[in-house]
Amino acid sequence: MSAQIWALAVVGVVVLAAACLELFRARRARVKTLGASATPASDPYILYFTGEGCTVCRTHQEPALAKLGAVRVDKVDAIADRTLADRFNVYTLPTTVVMSPEGRALHVNYGYATAPKLERQLAEARGGLQVATA
Amino acid sequence: MATQVVDHSALKVNQTGIIATVLVAFIGSAFYRPALLLIPLLAIVLLLGTFAPNLALFKQFYFKVLKPRGIVKPRPVQDRPEPHNFAQGLGGVFLVVASAFLLPVPVIGLALALLVAVLAFVNLAFGYCLGCQIYFQLGKRGVIRAS
Repeated sequence: MSAQIWALAVVGVVVLAAACLELFRARRARVKTLGASATPASDPYILYFTGEGCTVCRTHQEPALAKLGAVRVDKVDAIADRTLADRFNVYTLPTTVVMSPEGRALHVNYGYATAPKLERQLAEARGGLQVATA
Repeated sequence: MATQVVDHSALKVNQTGIIATVLVAFIGSAFYRPALLLIPLLAIVLLLGTFAPNLALFKQFYFKVLKPRGIVKPRPVQDRPEPHNFAQGLGGVFLVVASAFLLPVPVIGLALALLVAVLAFVNLAFGYCLGCQIYFQLGKRGVIRAS
């Protein structure tokens, strides 16, 4: 029985360490990405990084983006367009970036971002608030 | 590479099978040590299923038993099977390593097997597939042709 308990403890430590590492990596990537530039537009818009092998993109992220209504969403294949993906430090799919009309990254979401979260970020972008959120 | 239709119910059944087998081996081995044999057997099942999908035990159980009887409803999604196969193969490799440790250092062997079950659970419950993310990273670096 003791081997099982020790194994559980080891897995607990590994999972906790992985979660901390992921938080750190996302925070660092976000800090590096905020302010990165792309094409200007008349309204805030979303850069949506995806790939053919991204299941969550199809099952979760695309339905969430569809709920946003008349918002410009620029879909980018993160593997085909590596230069742009690297500029926004895309290390996971999906990644969504809320861009200001001037073409600057205001909010970066690594991983699935819900529709209400994106709506809130877009509202902030329209209101000129430049607050970084997770 | 074009997308195909992937039945996500088959993937979910596969993940459930992995979690259940590891848990039975993990808990069972506390009372009956030969239950650990389930871990190398699961490694074989996963690796066989990666290279020959018609030998994927849990998926075949879904396609031949659960789906025809309406026990589990199909969930077809436009997707690519390669990242999922890659993730399954990775799980199989981890279980092979776990099997190698089971007798000399059972804590490491059990921990690795449990980690595979945890990742399968994360995929099942939250849709986050670590193996698929590794596949994407390898594709991005040009190690494998991912797009």
